[in-house]
Amino acid sequence: MKPPLEGIRVADFSWYGAGPIGTQTLAWYGAEVIRVESEARVDGLRTTQPAPPGKTGYNVSGYYNNFNSNKLSFTLNMSKPGARDIALRLIAKSDVVVENYQAGVFEKWGLSYEAMTAVKPDIIFVRQPVAGTTGPHREFSAFGAVMTPITGLSHLSGYPDRPPIGVGTNYPDYVINPGHQTIAVLAALRHRRRTGRGQYIEIAQLESTMAVVGPAIIDYTANGRVQTRQGNRQENAAPHGVFPCRPRPTTPPIEGAPLPLGMTQPPPEEDRWIAIAVFTDEQWRALRKVMGEPAWAAEPRFSTLEGRKANEDELERLVADWSRDQVAEELMERLQAAGVPAGVVQTSEDVLDHDEHLKARGYYVYLDHLETGRAAYDGSPFKMSKTPGGPVRPAPLLGEHTMYVAKEIIGLSDEEIADLVADQVLY
Amino acid sequence: MLPVTGDSSALDDLRVLDLAGEEAVYCTKLLADLGADVIRVEPPGGSPIRRLGPFVGDIRDPERSIQHLYFNTSKRGVTLDIAKPEGRELFLKLAASADVIVESFKPGFLASLGLGYDDLTRVKPDIILTSVTGFGQTGPHSGWEWSDLIDVAMSGILTLSGFVDAPPYRPYPSQAYYCAGVEAAIGTLLAVTARDLQGEGQWVDVSIQESLSMAQETAMQTWDFLHRARRRVGGAEQAIRLGGLQEVADGYVFSMIGLAGAGAPLAAFVEWLVEEGAAGDLVESGVLADLKEVASAGRGMARDPAVMQRMQGHIGKVADQAKVFLKSRRKTEIYVRGQQHGFLIGAANDPKDIVESEQLIARGWFQEVPHPELGMTIKFPGVPYHLSDCPARVRRRAPLVGEHNAEVYGEIGVGAGELAALKARGVV
Repeated sequence: MKPPLEGIRVADFSWYGAGPIGTQTLAWYGAEVIRVESEARVDGLRTTQPAPPGKTGYNVSGYYNNFNSNKLSFTLNMSKPGARDIALRLIAKSDVVVENYQAGVFEKWGLSYEAMTAVKPDIIFVRQPVAGTTGPHREFSAFGAVMTPITGLSHLSGYPDRPPIGVGTNYPDYVINPGHQTIAVLAALRHRRRTGRGQYIEIAQLESTMAVVGPAIIDYTANGRVQTRQGNRQENAAPHGVFPCRPRPTTPPIEGAPLPLGMTQPPPEEDRWIAIAVFTDEQWRALRKVMGEPAWAAEPRFSTLEGRKANEDELERLVADWSRDQVAEELMERLQAAGVPAGVVQTSEDVLDHDEHLKARGYYVYLDHLETGRAAYDGSPFKMSKTPGGPVRPAPLLGEHTMYVAKEIIGLSDEEIADLVADQVLY
Repeated sequence: MLPVTGDSSALDDLRVLDLAGEEAVYCTKLLADLGADVIRVEPPGGSPIRRLGPFVGDIRDPERSIQHLYFNTSKRGVTLDIAKPEGRELFLKLAASADVIVESFKPGFLASLGLGYDDLTRVKPDIILTSVTGFGQTGPHSGWEWSDLIDVAMSGILTLSGFVDAPPYRPYPSQAYYCAGVEAAIGTLLAVTARDLQGEGQWVDVSIQESLSMAQETAMQTWDFLHRARRRVGGAEQAIRLGGLQEVADGYVFSMIGLAGAGAPLAAFVEWLVEEGAAGDLVESGVLADLKEVASAGRGMARDPAVMQRMQGHIGKVADQAKVFLKSRRKTEIYVRGQQHGFLIGAANDPKDIVESEQLIARGWFQEVPHPELGMTIKFPGVPYHLSDCPARVRRRAPLVGEHNAEVYGEIGVGAGELAALKARGVV
């Protein structure tokens, strides 16, 4: 079978994470996705670490590259007169337009939905503003790290006696918001197939992320309860948390590797943790067996979930005392063999180099890139039995496909292209 | 006003059989709110999700589980014991009328009942089967036990989250399942696209571990390029003295004030302090003037070591002033005023703050969902996206246990008498 989205063209004006990751999925499954970028307003991720040791420039960021496999890069300097016309000529040849700029940018460029439908009546226009294009907060802006607190995720994640510092990343940018974008686009494409009509799609990133704290919101609207942080605990399981294991010597960095922004020099040994989640009494009995049937675990107060929940502080301390001397990977194997849900708190070293399961599934894909050399890319998290997809071409160099898009897709003549390059419109 | 050009559904001709557990029920919610006919197939007595708290009114009742109510909006519901031979037959009949089946049993479970992908294609050759499991259908861990916490750990995102002096912690539950649900919906819609155009169904194998992987941010590439493993740094953002988490009168805000390339410059922050009468002597001492001068002089001057040292001193003074100011204001005020001044700043909201958000109220994001059997109308979170021509929305409350048995089984030719007999034998 052919890739599902073969023949679909996406004019992708988005940048950073939430837009480009969403369009990358479309590119993995057959769409022609054209990143519209410019040296005059370079995607911030192109200049963000990490890059291979000693490499600099717009093309070597692993952050950018991992979100833009299979795509083309077309440089168009929207601040120049004449750029709007080129943009509309590209849009006229596209099925989907995506943008996630701060409110007002597309308006300033004169790229309204109406302007697009004038050149392509059935266009699907997707916007991903932070708070939406309407309402009193319509001009607000944020990265994922700022959206994490606004959406309640920070308040709800972590320890109740410690401040809500969030989850250590720009979490909503990577799966939730780009994923919702892809779903909306696929629904709109199907709608267009059935009715011939395009449409306007708006994904307010804050709303999109609040959808994944839904139950906490309903607990407030229905019960008036304001939920708070619970660490790793949950109501229907105990023990349920992460437990220390034997430290592991830290792997030395690649020679010449700079210390990435915000990272401190690692200690000679790194702490290791295993996640254990015991839901049933059967799993509890299996855990006891793996622990070697210690006397404390046979105490009746631990024999039921209710008892384990009532004595959870002590239970966690006792399990931790036992796990501390274990090698995390070996312990995981033994627990899983006994039927206890368990998993190492894996680091990036583990997922890339040691996780035999991810290797067997071929999850990470290694691609040769002109400037970074061979590099790992995230693959598709789902496998389609008849229309497989995923990264096959590395991220484009900035402007790598400008000539191709200008000539073959937009249909500009060599002369026009030369003028536009000279005027820094194609730039 | 957001554009509204039509009111049809992109998916109203799709029938989805929903066998999903916690892992995949967000996928089927997304499809149902987009208008697909999603039939939730629960074991007699109801799905285990109905036993999860919290409960409306704190009354433990299968119709009051908030997770059930949230994740099953817009669906119809039937009961069926697919492990019984008669139940299997009935399920195959349903499958023959369906386009998509979503499930999250352990790999091999459906096949062991004679309901695997191959069995399903015999009754519906172009069926789409979406399977969501902790580690996927293949590979050495495919038979392993999983849960939200286990997958978050194995994905590589748990190690990034937490304080250096305490165990790492997971994000608010169940993000593993939300991410997998999102990816499962994408995989399903891609399979629907392929079927619409090329006439063949297929099997979509979703791994929860892999669904979370992209959320490692730069950790994976940092290892790949440098062999340095990113770990939890807990509050280290606060080292940027004006950035990171800041205490305010009623909680916290998170800010990127003063971070190059992220919002308005530091001088603008001092000007805001001046407006609020909270600038202390930052104007008289010349700090503001110097900040402005350096900012307007461009990069060269800012890199001069003497200037950099002077700037560090200024930042310290601004931070001291900011601390006092922030402690005297409420988080919502700092959020709104700060954003209006061009700063990337956010309040650390709790669920109450979200429900009271003037922005969400102005946009009509929440939806009032009547639940007559509970005798109440519940305010629900809205949908993640606005589609102008085929809108998504919460179409109705989640189904009661077996609510649509007569209706759905009637549609596939099972009469009332037969249904009563099946009920008596514990099949439905």
